[in-house]
Amino acid sequence: MRERIVDPANARGLHSGGRLTAGRSPGEGGVKADRYQGFLFNPADLSEDVDLEVDRRREILYLAASMDGWTHWQALGLPWNASASEARDAYREKAKVFHPDRFQGRRLGAFRPRLERIFRRLTEARDALSDEASRAAYARKTAPPEEVARSAARSIENDVRARERRARLARTNPMVSRAARVQELMERGRKAREEERFGDAARDFLTASAMDPTLVEARSLAEDAKKRVGAGKARDLWEKARTAELQHDLDRAQLHAEAASDAEPGEPRYVVYVARLALLRGALETARGRAEAAVRAAPSLATAHEILGEVLAAQGESGPARKALERALELDDGLDGALQCLRKLRWSFLR
Amino acid sequence: MNENEPFIGIDLGTTNSVVATVIDGVPRVIASRTGQTLTPSVVALAKNGKRLVGHMAKRQAITNAENTVYAAKRLIGRRWGSPEVEDARKVLPYELVPGPEGNDIRAMLGGRTFAIPEISALVLAELKADAEAFFGRRVTKAVITVPAYFNDGQRQGTKDAGRIAGLEVVRIINEPTSAALAYGFGKQMEKKVAVIDLGGGTFDVSILDVGKSVYDVIAVGGDTYLGGEDFDRRVIDWLVFSFAQEHQGIDLRQDKMAMQRLRDAAERAKIELSETSQAAIHLPFLASGSEGKAAVHLDRQLTREKLEELTQDLVDKTIQVADRTLRDAGVRVGQIGEVLLVGGMTRMPRVQQAVRQHFGREPSRGVHPEEVVALGAAIQAHALLHPQKGKEVLLLDVTPQNLGILVVGGYFSTVIPRNTTVPTSQSHLFTTVQDNQTSVRIAVLQGGSDKAVENELLGEFVLDGLRSSRRGEVEIEVNFDISADGIVGVSARDSATGARQSITVTATSGLTEAEMRRILEENMDEMLTRRQVGDFERLRDRTRAVIAEIDGLSPRVKEALAKSRFGKDAVVKAEDVVGRARAAIEARDLQQMIAVEEQLDRALQLFKGLAGGAAPGPKDPA
Repeated sequence: MRERIVDPANARGLHSGGRLTAGRSPGEGGVKADRYQGFLFNPADLSEDVDLEVDRRREILYLAASMDGWTHWQALGLPWNASASEARDAYREKAKVFHPDRFQGRRLGAFRPRLERIFRRLTEARDALSDEASRAAYARKTAPPEEVARSAARSIENDVRARERRARLARTNPMVSRAARVQELMERGRKAREEERFGDAARDFLTASAMDPTLVEARSLAEDAKKRVGAGKARDLWEKARTAELQHDLDRAQLHAEAASDAEPGEPRYVVYVARLALLRGALETARGRAEAAVRAAPSLATAHEILGEVLAAQGESGPARKALERALELDDGLDGALQCLRKLRWSFLR
Repeated sequence: MNENEPFIGIDLGTTNSVVATVIDGVPRVIASRTGQTLTPSVVALAKNGKRLVGHMAKRQAITNAENTVYAAKRLIGRRWGSPEVEDARKVLPYELVPGPEGNDIRAMLGGRTFAIPEISALVLAELKADAEAFFGRRVTKAVITVPAYFNDGQRQGTKDAGRIAGLEVVRIINEPTSAALAYGFGKQMEKKVAVIDLGGGTFDVSILDVGKSVYDVIAVGGDTYLGGEDFDRRVIDWLVFSFAQEHQGIDLRQDKMAMQRLRDAAERAKIELSETSQAAIHLPFLASGSEGKAAVHLDRQLTREKLEELTQDLVDKTIQVADRTLRDAGVRVGQIGEVLLVGGMTRMPRVQQAVRQHFGREPSRGVHPEEVVALGAAIQAHALLHPQKGKEVLLLDVTPQNLGILVVGGYFSTVIPRNTTVPTSQSHLFTTVQDNQTSVRIAVLQGGSDKAVENELLGEFVLDGLRSSRRGEVEIEVNFDISADGIVGVSARDSATGARQSITVTATSGLTEAEMRRILEENMDEMLTRRQVGDFERLRDRTRAVIAEIDGLSPRVKEALAKSRFGKDAVVKAEDVVGRARAAIEARDLQQMIAVEEQLDRALQLFKGLAGGAAPGPKDPA
C-alpha cells in the first residue's frame, strides 16, 4: 500500500494544478465555498451534461482532486488517531454517499471515474485503519509534532510510575519480593563481576540460582565466576612456584605448581610446568605421567609435546621422543628447548 | 427511467432456480405459471425437437437422459480439460465436447452443440417468462446471483446467459451476501454475520459486518464444486456398489436410464432423511437380468446414520472452509453475532449440528432456505433501480480469489489480493525486455497458488503496436479493475505518452463476441416464432369461441329468417366469413385470421341481433 504522509495542516489546502479558473460564479454565491478551502473549480467540469446536482459535483471534484494527499483519517473525515470502529462507521456513511451503486442508471460522464477513485480511496483508508496494528503504526507515522511531544512526555511518566508500582509490589507481595530479591542479587553479582571481584560475584549468583532454580542465567554466571576465582588462585600459586624455582627450591616450587594445577584443573600449562619441574628434579616417572596428561588435555599445545619429548629423551626412548619433539616443532617452530633436544637426539655422537 | 418498470432477482441454482421481486416495498417470490416457486435448472431437447425447461424437462429426464442437461452451473465458465470438467464428464449422462476455440465446453443435444451459457439462458428465459406472466408485461432488468467463490470466467458466463435470455443484468451479486440482505431486510442489524451457503452444487462462506444498512463483506471462502449433488453421488455410489454385489456384478453405471432413476431416488431419499430416520429406496425393474433372466429390482433401506457416514468428509470439509474464512476475516468465532444457513443442503441435520458445534450457537434459518437468495437479489435490484431516500441499503462485496499475472519462471504475482472490497483497481507497470519490441503478452490469472499453472487462466492479453524503442524505455501501465459484479477488466496505456494501448484477448473460457451475436440472433428467431405461435394459438382459440357462438345462434337465426324477408344477404355474407375463418384455422394462417377477426365479430353481432329479435328469451345475451 502506498503511504501518504503529509503535513496534515497543509493537506486540506492542496490544489490540483492545471488550467483552473475561479469556480464560484456570482449567481451561486460564496456560501459553501469555504468548505472547499478555496479550491478552484473548472467551469467545464461543473457544466458537463450529467445527472448530478451542482453541490454534489463540487464535492466530487474537490474530493477526487484532494483525497490522495490526505491521511487516512482525513479521507474519512475523522480526527487524527480516531479508533478503528469510528473508521468503520465513517466508511459506511461515506460509502453510502459515494459508492458508484448510489448513482446507478444516471449519466455520470467524467464523474464516474472520479467517484470510483473516491470510493477506492475510502476503502484504502478503511482497510488501513480497521486493523488495530496497522492503525497504531500509521498513527505513529502521521502524528502531528505536538502529539509526538505529548506522547514522549507520557512515556517518561509511565516509566517512572511503573517503577514505583514495582517497588510497592515488592514490599507487599512475597512472590514478587522474592523475585525482586533475586533481581537484586543478580544485579549485585554482575557489578562484582565487572569489578573482577569474582568471589563475591560467584556467591551472589549461586544464591540467586538457589532461590530461583529456573534461572538458567544465574547458574551459568555462577559457574563462570567460580572458574575465574580458581584461575586467579592458580595464577597466585604459579607466581609462588616461579619464585621458589628461581630460589632453586624445587621441592617447594613443585608443591605450589601442583596446587595451581589443582586450582584451575582445565589449564594444561600448569601441568606442563609441573612436568618440567619434575624433570628438573629428576623424578622422571612423575614427569612422564604429567607430560602425557598435558598432551592428552591439549593435543595442540606445543610445549606439552616438547616436555614429553624431553622426558622421553631423558628416559632414553629416542624414537618416541623424536616423534614428540617433531610434533612440538610442527606446532611452534620457535621452541629452543625442543630444537636442541632434537638435535642432540639426531646427532647422538655430539654427546 | 420508468418508475414502475418491473425488475426481478434471480437465484440461478445448480439444481433449482427461483425468481423474486419487490412489490410495495415487500420482497416476494414469483411462482411459475404452473404454481411452483422452485424451477428445476434442467433443460432438455425432446425427441420432437422441442426445448423443454424446468419441471417439464426434469419429468422426462429418465427416458431422455442423453438429451437432458442438469447442473449446468457446475460447468459454466469452466475450461475444457480442467479437472472439474473431466470429473463431470464421467458422471453426466449427456455428452460434452470442446468449443471451437478449444477452451470452453459445449453440451451435445440432439446433434447440436449448445454453449453452457445458452443452456443457462433457457432457464433464465423461463423464469423471465414466469415473471412476465406475473406482471402482465415485459421484464428486462434483473439481478442474478452467483456463488461468492465464482471466479471471473464463471461470472462472465452467467452474465452472458442473462444477455442471451434477453435480460439486462443490472448486477451479479454473491449468494451469501444476497441471503444476508434478505435476512436483514427490515431489521436493524448491527453485528457480524457468518453465512453458510450449501446449495446444490456449490459451497460458500461469507463473513459480513452489517450495520447502518450497509452489508460489508469482510471475507469469503468456499468451494465451487461441493454441494448437494456430491451428497447424492455418495448415495448413488453406495447403491450401485451394493447392487453389483447382490446381483453378480451388474454395473448400473452403464445404463443411463437406470442412473437417472437412481439419481432421482437418491435425492429423494436424502431429502426424506432430513425429517425421518429411515428412507426406503424402491426401484422396480431397474435392470434386465443377465442372460434372459427376469428383470431385477432394487430395494434398500437407507438410514440417517448411513447417510451421515457416507458424507461425513463432505460435512467436515464445509467446517474446514468456514474456519479458514473466519481466520481470513480476522474474526473469532465468539465475535460472530449471527450464523445464517442458506441452501437446501443445510436442511440436513448433520450439517446443522456441525455448524452449531463449530460456532457454539444456534444457527438461524429462514423458513425457506431455498428462496432467501432470490429475495435478496430482488432487494438489491430494487435498491439499485429505485433508490429511496432514507431506506438505502448498500452491499460492499469482496473479490474471492487473488488476481494476478504470470511472471518469469511460471510464477503467479498477485496484483489484487483476495478479500479486497470491489469495485477496485490496481495498476502495474510493464516494460519491454528487447530492443524494438512492439508487443507484450500478459496472462491474467485468478487463484490461490504461487505456481501459475495451478491457477485459473482468465485470459491472455496482447499489447501491441508499442513504440519502437530501446528495451526498457517503453513503459506500459496496465490497469486491472474488478467491477462490483466481480468481473475483471484490463486496460493499458503508454505511461510516457499517455496513449491508450490496444488490448487483444486471445484466450478465455467464455464466448467470443461474434458467437454471442450469432446466439442472440438465433434466439431472436426462436423468440419470434415462439411469440407468433403464441399469438396464433390465442387468436385461434378466440376465433373458435366466436364460431361456436355463431353456430349456437344459427338455428334461431334460421327461424327468424323464415319469418322475415330481411337480412338474407347479410346472413349469407356472415356465413361466408365464418367459412373463411374456419379455413384460416385449418391452414394455420395468422394473417388471414387477423383479417377476418373483425368481420367475424360483426357477424356475431348480426346473429345476436337476429336471434334476439326472433325469440327474446331468458338466455338473451347481455
